[in-house]
Amino acid sequence: MGRVIAMRVLGSVGAVFGATVLAFMIMRVLPGNPARLILGPLATSQAVTALNHHIGLDQPLYTQYWRYISDFFQGNWGYSYSDGASVRKLIGERAPATIELALFSFVITMLAAVGLALLSTYRHRPITDRIVRGASYLGFGTPPFFLALLLLIVFFSTLHILPGPEGRLGVQAAAPAAVTRMYTIDALLAGELGTFWEALKHLILPGLALGISSFSFLVRLLRANLLEVSREPFITVARGKGLRRWTAFRRHALPNAFLPTLTAGGLVLGEFLAGSVLIERVFNWPGVGSLVFDAIVKQDYAIVQTFILLSAVMFVLVNLAVDLLYAVIDPRVRIPTVATA
Amino acid sequence: MGPGTLSIGEDVAAARPGGPPGPDRTSLSVRGGQALRAVLADRKLAVPLGVLALMVLFAIFMPIFWSHGPDKQDLINSLGSPSASHPLGTDQLGRDVLARVATGARISLVVATLVTLAGAIVGGLIGLFAGTLGGASDGVVMRVMDAILAFPPLILAMAVTVGLGIGLDTAAIGVSLVSVPWYARLLRSEALRIRSLPFIEAAHAMGATRGRIIARHVVPHMLPVLFIQMAAAFGYAVLALAGLSFVGLGAQVPTPEWGAMITEGLSYSLTGQWWISICPGVALLITVTAASMLSDRMRDLLDPRGQYARL
Repeated sequence: MGRVIAMRVLGSVGAVFGATVLAFMIMRVLPGNPARLILGPLATSQAVTALNHHIGLDQPLYTQYWRYISDFFQGNWGYSYSDGASVRKLIGERAPATIELALFSFVITMLAAVGLALLSTYRHRPITDRIVRGASYLGFGTPPFFLALLLLIVFFSTLHILPGPEGRLGVQAAAPAAVTRMYTIDALLAGELGTFWEALKHLILPGLALGISSFSFLVRLLRANLLEVSREPFITVARGKGLRRWTAFRRHALPNAFLPTLTAGGLVLGEFLAGSVLIERVFNWPGVGSLVFDAIVKQDYAIVQTFILLSAVMFVLVNLAVDLLYAVIDPRVRIPTVATA
Repeated sequence: MGPGTLSIGEDVAAARPGGPPGPDRTSLSVRGGQALRAVLADRKLAVPLGVLALMVLFAIFMPIFWSHGPDKQDLINSLGSPSASHPLGTDQLGRDVLARVATGARISLVVATLVTLAGAIVGGLIGLFAGTLGGASDGVVMRVMDAILAFPPLILAMAVTVGLGIGLDTAAIGVSLVSVPWYARLLRSEALRIRSLPFIEAAHAMGATRGRIIARHVVPHMLPVLFIQMAAAFGYAVLALAGLSFVGLGAQVPTPEWGAMITEGLSYSLTGQWWISICPGVALLITVTAASMLSDRMRDLLDPRGQYARL
């Protein structure tokens, strides 16, 4: 077991190394001159040379890589070219909004996926199954930013039941006292139910749009797993011993069907990271995604670079965590490795 | 290899002077007809294929026969709702949305096809050689693939686009790069699987060279898996290119690309002029959904461990 973990951790370190080299090559080696990019087309060549020297672009590549990577892991993420603020401060300020949205979206995505997968497999009704499968196809084919727009048109401009693209709270509402800086949680901590409800209403539409692609993936995976597990002999045995259908499902089928979905953890995180860039702007959500979106528009590459590298590191770490967790939860993964170790 | 095996090989070659037994050529057209009927009888295959075919026809012929050009501005009739002369309305500059969606179909379908082919060729070759050659080159190449897979797909495509300079061409390079390891990994494991099958050993025993075994025996058996992956990757390419254009990394604003059109119409959507963004969005949705349904059905039919016999 220990050896397997060590190998897996080493593999992840390798993946992070590979990813940083790749990011470094894409960002620093391939393009035109970053100094020219910062100074603009009208800058003199002396100014470009001076800035090149100042940011170390005249150093050999391995020195540049070392600086790039040590700066990144020490949290020196540079300064935004457009407003001079430190990138770490900007991302830190925006992170709670994005995390709150992602957590909310994850919860409703999971609930919907489990619920619908159960609905389509619990009793073998072809119609519900077909609807669920159709929904997953549609969900897969719907670009999240397009769904965001559709939701706004239906629930905001037509039905007027949910707030429009005004960010995390309405204009009149004041943010609750900052503890976690996630408004729903802070509002509950402060006992302001009105603010909580307001924050929750603002979360619904972006949460749905952010979760759509993960939902269609998860519901398909869960449905296939449930169908497979419910045909296993141990379910027949459980039913034969007199367990009611629902109990057999809940106690024996669901946990087993649920396990493989863990492996989708990395995929879901990837969808959320990219999705935040795509949809936060639509809702004027003041998170990291819209920060990156604006940075792309303003060609403010310090922010974009940091976001890309951060995403890769988080992606690798989540995939690692998923693998390790899987080994802890599922003895079938663990026992053979113990036998071979 | 002993002389016995060689003589068996010669015997087989002598018995069939026309070379190895191929498909019966006289019945090819009959078989083609049968295949077409089989496809049409399978609704889950025929519907997405038909939808994609319609989309291709729409992309080819609509811009030719439609009187409005995609870039022709008509400021007096700007933001016009759908009508007889503009079935999908006009945008903020009075450009015909139908013409723009049709031109956008050309852009999306062509670029996504190129992206799919590029990814399949590069990734497929990498997977094929990693799987058949093995050894150190396999290890090195697969570590590079792991580095690419260490990024969330769309984020890596964004990185490439930012690095190479914003545009539809660099966005296409980014999406192709993202898809390379999918093919490489898949085809490598397929090559490894096929390589260990008995008929490869038989071919080897009959004196076939490595190149011949790869070209005549390994590659044809990899094709079904490759096609399934290509259908899925095509849908992803359409979606990813639109996403990149939507955030401003792909096609730039006057280009009638679906993602860029949705961005352009965004601010008008909530004030009642929904058609500017919704029409390209629906086209996008139809294309991607059809591609993903097609790849799913192909997986059911072509997967050697599935129900291949049915077709």
